[in-house]
Amino acid sequence: MFPQFGATAESLSKASTAVFRIGTDAHLYDDPDDVNIAPLLDSKFDSEKCEALKRLLALISQGFDVANFFPQVVKNVASQSLEVKKLVYLYLLHYAEKRPNEALLSINYFQKDLGDTNPLVRAWALRAMAGIRLHAIAPLVLVAVGKCARDPSVYVRKCAANALPKLHDLRMEEHASAIEEIIGLLLNDHSPGVVGAAASAFTTVCPNNFSLIGRNFRKLCEVLPDVEEWGQIMLIGILLRYVIARHGLVKESIMFSLYNKDHSNLDEDEHYVTSKEDAGYATEKTVSELTRTIFQCYIEGPDEYLSRSSSTIKVAPKLDESQYTSCSNEIVKILLQCTSPLLWSHNSAVVLAAAGVHWIMAPKEDVKRIVKPLLFVLRSSPASRYVVLCNIQVFAKAMPSLFAPHYEDFFIHSADSYQIKELKLEILSIISSDSSISFILKELQDYIRDPDRRFAADTVAAIGLCAQRLPKMAITCLEELLTLIRQEFLCGEIRSLDGEEGVLIQAIMSIISIIKLEPAIYEKVIIQLVRSLDTIKVPAARAMIVWLLGEYCSLGEIIPRMLSTVLKYLAWCFTSEELETKLQILNTITKVLLCIKGEDSWTLRKIWTYVIELAERDLNYDIRDRSRFLKKLLSSNLESQNVEEENGESQKKDQKRVVAECIFGVQTKTSTVPSEPINDRFYLPGSLSQLVFHAAPGYEPLPKPCSLPNIDQYDGSDKSDLDEVDDSGTSGSSDEENASDYSSERSISGSSEVSGSNETVSGNEGENNDDPLIQISDTSNVNENQNGGDHAGTSGFSDLMSTKSLESWLDEPSKSSKGSETEQSGVRRSSARITIGNIGSRIKPKCYTLLDPANGNGLMVNYSFSSETSSISSHLVCLQVLFENCSLESMFDIVLIDEDSSKSVDSTDQISQAAENTVKSHIDKPALVSMEEIPSLEPGQKAKRTLLVRFHHHLLPLKLALFCNDKKFPVKLRPDIGYFVKPLPINIEAFKDKESHLPGMFEYVRSCTFNDHIVKLNKESNSLTEDTFLVICETLALKMLSNANLSLVSVDLPVASNLGDASGLCLRFSSEILNNSMPCLITATVEGKCSDPLIVSVKVNCEETVFGLNFLNRIVNFLAEPPVTHS
Amino acid sequence: MLQCIFLLSDSGEVILEKQLTGHRVDRSICNWFWDHTNSQPNSYKQQPVIASPTHYLFQVCREGITFLACTQVEMPPLMAIEFLCRVADVINGYLGGLNEDSIKDNFVIVYELLDEMIDNGFPLTTEPNILQEMIAPPNIVSKVLSVVTGNSSNVSDTLPGSTASCVPWRTADPKYANNEVYVDLVEQMDATINRDGVLVKCEINGEVQVNSHITGLPDLTLSFANPSILDDVRFHPCVRFRPWESNQILSFVPPDGQFKLMNYRVRKLKSTPIYVKPQLTSDGGICRLNVMVGMRNDPGKTVDSVNVQFQLPPCILSADLTSTHGTVNILSNKTCTWSIGRIPKDKAPSMSGTLVLETGLERLHVFPTFQVDFRIMGVALSGLQIDKLDLKTVPYRFYKGFRALTRAGEFEVRS
Repeated sequence: MFPQFGATAESLSKASTAVFRIGTDAHLYDDPDDVNIAPLLDSKFDSEKCEALKRLLALISQGFDVANFFPQVVKNVASQSLEVKKLVYLYLLHYAEKRPNEALLSINYFQKDLGDTNPLVRAWALRAMAGIRLHAIAPLVLVAVGKCARDPSVYVRKCAANALPKLHDLRMEEHASAIEEIIGLLLNDHSPGVVGAAASAFTTVCPNNFSLIGRNFRKLCEVLPDVEEWGQIMLIGILLRYVIARHGLVKESIMFSLYNKDHSNLDEDEHYVTSKEDAGYATEKTVSELTRTIFQCYIEGPDEYLSRSSSTIKVAPKLDESQYTSCSNEIVKILLQCTSPLLWSHNSAVVLAAAGVHWIMAPKEDVKRIVKPLLFVLRSSPASRYVVLCNIQVFAKAMPSLFAPHYEDFFIHSADSYQIKELKLEILSIISSDSSISFILKELQDYIRDPDRRFAADTVAAIGLCAQRLPKMAITCLEELLTLIRQEFLCGEIRSLDGEEGVLIQAIMSIISIIKLEPAIYEKVIIQLVRSLDTIKVPAARAMIVWLLGEYCSLGEIIPRMLSTVLKYLAWCFTSEELETKLQILNTITKVLLCIKGEDSWTLRKIWTYVIELAERDLNYDIRDRSRFLKKLLSSNLESQNVEEENGESQKKDQKRVVAECIFGVQTKTSTVPSEPINDRFYLPGSLSQLVFHAAPGYEPLPKPCSLPNIDQYDGSDKSDLDEVDDSGTSGSSDEENASDYSSERSISGSSEVSGSNETVSGNEGENNDDPLIQISDTSNVNENQNGGDHAGTSGFSDLMSTKSLESWLDEPSKSSKGSETEQSGVRRSSARITIGNIGSRIKPKCYTLLDPANGNGLMVNYSFSSETSSISSHLVCLQVLFENCSLESMFDIVLIDEDSSKSVDSTDQISQAAENTVKSHIDKPALVSMEEIPSLEPGQKAKRTLLVRFHHHLLPLKLALFCNDKKFPVKLRPDIGYFVKPLPINIEAFKDKESHLPGMFEYVRSCTFNDHIVKLNKESNSLTEDTFLVICETLALKMLSNANLSLVSVDLPVASNLGDASGLCLRFSSEILNNSMPCLITATVEGKCSDPLIVSVKVNCEETVFGLNFLNRIVNFLAEPPVTHS
Repeated sequence: MLQCIFLLSDSGEVILEKQLTGHRVDRSICNWFWDHTNSQPNSYKQQPVIASPTHYLFQVCREGITFLACTQVEMPPLMAIEFLCRVADVINGYLGGLNEDSIKDNFVIVYELLDEMIDNGFPLTTEPNILQEMIAPPNIVSKVLSVVTGNSSNVSDTLPGSTASCVPWRTADPKYANNEVYVDLVEQMDATINRDGVLVKCEINGEVQVNSHITGLPDLTLSFANPSILDDVRFHPCVRFRPWESNQILSFVPPDGQFKLMNYRVRKLKSTPIYVKPQLTSDGGICRLNVMVGMRNDPGKTVDSVNVQFQLPPCILSADLTSTHGTVNILSNKTCTWSIGRIPKDKAPSMSGTLVLETGLERLHVFPTFQVDFRIMGVALSGLQIDKLDLKTVPYRFYKGFRALTRAGEFEVRS
């Protein structure tokens, strides 16, 4: 009637949903790419950038690859808006590993952010930087983490702890000790939040470095309740492992059964044992066996355990008394005390972890305190309920008495998932005891009528298990099962409902398992079952009943008498049976035939022949085969009976009979519950492996008890870190600590004597003097000088390593500048300066092969980096390329071009345009200034060309294509970071001034050994002592200058150093980075005896951090290289 | 540690993907997971821990949204599950309900939350109060504001002060004109009544919920008149263990706003407030059903929102049910709901009717379980009583309020 109203209502509702979605990001998720994202990213408005980034995130979450926006996104790292930053970080971390080169570009911004005053910015920067996962920046991240580990903000320190596993993940063995050092520092943090994160890092990085724990054990225990819940989970595990490794297991705990092989001991305090009759003892024994298996698994790891048990005899490596401690042990007490309140945690994972500790370590009578908390956890989410039940199941197996009084908690709710129902049923059957079984049975009877038939079938199986556990109740259970079967067929035709069949089959299986316990009592039950054959139609159930008949055919008095009737019935309905029943009928008749003697045997034989004949003509080949087999096997038997004890009883026939009797096991032995070898796998409580039943990668069993050396200092609370006796992992660090203390002391004493002479001579550098000139400025205070030289190295180190100074972050700028001042003055005051003259002419740049004649049809191309710098662009590096024709034919048109240049010239035009816009994009694009073509090269002829190359990255090789005779050879040009700089000729004062502006983050130190001089010294063994120093200086300088484009600033020698001791020798080089002219200063300080390999500690000061670090690595690498023997 | 978190919709579509470590997990694992789940029979579907060929998967389902986390190494599985539950709770709190659309509409917030909650696979900040300070929840004001100004930053630019304090759960220095603390006892009654009508199990699972708005850094102590009846307890991290161990006193610095102070359990209760008596008799392919509901012991307060729900067994073809009070609804999946509402004083409501069995089936051999729901305002059925609530360290007066509520939890009656 009013259609317009209806329409309004509809549009209104639409509008209301629209209103509801206004202001959300719905439109961004729905169509993320309906606008052009690229220009938005370059927008100068933060809101537009945000929108673009959100669209990218939406694309990511929808599974699109938007990595191609990477360069543009990275640029926005510099944004001041925190939201933009956060979104960029989200994007960056998603793709960083795919685009390492571009990711590197963001490092400088992170570095800047690390110095921000806002802790949130610092933390984010650290998280993003550590998350990028590039080997190239790992040392840088390590430095940053080291600093952030001393940050005043708890949040930043926490992030630092979380960053350590990221570093560890890069598998850099050389940094392992530094990482562990930082973990130690963070574990000692006064804020519980940080300790928790550090505990997690410890577990991932160095789970067995117990010395870190030993130091702080008491403190960690005290702080445990205040740690965040997630950290608690980790920390509990660590403390448990530590105590076992250090003090061993507890004598009063359940674990003690490992040592004590006597079962009776275990049974003592388990009350239900005493009320048990002999028959129950068998199961009891298996329980204690199981307990031992479980704990053996905890210590050894199940794979080890199983391989041993399957191989030969079970020789458990018996733990001796010494590997046990008493629960009166102080440390064990503390551990139990600090974990027990955690059983009240609202986080179920914490509860389970704490319960695990008590399970393993607590005295037997105290273990029960874990029960209630565990049961309470069952009330939390269904997912965690499943996990907890899996663990309870193991606990209950090992110690059923623990949970026996709480059977009600395992009663099943209809809303439980199937897995949970299954677990609860199993636990119920494990913990059932004489006092509770009647309640449990009542409950189980209810479950049988549950609409979920699979669950009902499981319930029936559980009833069978209960009966086996408690033989007293067997009859009650049996009656229950029999009524069930009667009911099942009462409800008429069992229709195609497979569930129903399952229940029936399971019921009969349970009955059989009960009968097995003591067949003699249950004769009537067997008869009852056999009588019900007429009504039971399920083939599997029929087969089982037939089997039962055969198995117990000679039992009691009634069964043998009814045999012939029953077998006649079976023979009569043979043709209409299913396969499995048919097979079973064949078996059973054979069995009966073999074991029954007397008046019936004739009838039986007739039935047998009849059935065999039927079977021989069956449609199924299995049945035909079986019948033939049986016929052959029993033919002798039948004959022998025909002939009735006559003389010619052949040996062969007798054998056949024996075989037949063996196969069909005529003797009905009173079987007991076979104590099968326990082949279950057990893993530590609360572990993932326990849920998936295999050792997940990274799973570790408990440490071997008492595997830690016995050192008194462990467990100490107030021990200072320094007098710790450590393993090799941390010994290095404590050395460094000493060094750092030492150096800071020195710097103070040095600064008090600043008024040194400043008449140090600026050497006669330019002169081409063959004789080196040593000028002695000040002979006093030799040691001071040495320390001054040292200081450069150690101060850098202390920044990296020191565990002491939390305050260093705060007053670092002042301190380090002071340090360099003192150093400056120290050097000025008391050093001799050496001038090495003709070094320039002796520099031999290293030659690399670009193409060897084997691959290049006889064309050999070598290249070396030249110390010249390009006049065209500061981004170009000069190379000398030497072409040589080694073949016998001449070559034409040799040219070397960029591989990508096939993308034609116009693309380079674009590049140059782009280069004007942004700085980054033109760094990305490698370029090769086109080389002058070599028109022809005769055999044996050489040609030299200078090449100008723009490497897009200073670590990755550049792909080039070499054309020769119209053939293309792909070649790779490896960059040498040593030539990404050009010499910066400055004097020593300027050097020191620049150096003082580049402290802290911009300073990196590494050490290496240097051997080159030894060869030289051996050659000139007759020379004077001064010459030894000189040779060292020369070889070192030469090596440096031959491998990198540097300028030598100064060489300082400790004036009155001992003969043959080169310590304190200090060489300074300067350079500037080609493309941005930032200075890059190198100081190499020598330590050690002249005649031995020297330790050279190289320090690089450079504002461009990534570059600086890579440069340092390169220097250290080439210094450590064996000397090149010059011709 | 966790490597990746996926949020899946109820149709298996990936709504969100958050990689946590450098070891990327391809989202094809979700396809595997979905196929695997669908190949399982119904009751197997929500297996919390699954070992796939490449990863171990943890799943938590909430309101049709599957939270799926992957790892390749050993880690405490409960930690992953608890964390996923926490994520679900936090997102639920932020978006005011979990569903596919609300997550998609606010996906950026969900991303930011996830990024803040977990770092390198290890939980970082999971305290909802603190998260709200770092990332603003979407609310009407901010929505309107963002439409008007076009600026929609929801990321706070300062670190919440509490991250540095020794009480990381508390917002630093809130200020209130009216200082008030409300303590609610919210109890759930779990009960199982078996086929013979015997009360097999009856227990209370309770929560102490506190809503506190107090200026400064208050130190509260809460004591019960009868703490001995508590069978087991679990605490919010703010509760100090020592005073509880020694005197059963709850001493804590509360988080700001609403939080769950404590869970407790009282076992072995003797009676339930209402009774539900189902009767099923079947013969000749027809089953007669009769359910009676009534008050057993009057708790003194009205029992309302009474609801009886059950699943008709699969062998039932059709059902015809009527009730004397309330309405009966039968859904297509054979779930039958009888909503009664408030139980009238004068007569007990009942529902009766006939069920037609499948042809060939004479009588019923499987029986449904009835799930009962009710609510009683103003009473804590466990009998737990709050003795007093004191405020230390802050000098001024404050208003305190106490309430109680009992609901049915897993209240089941078998027939």
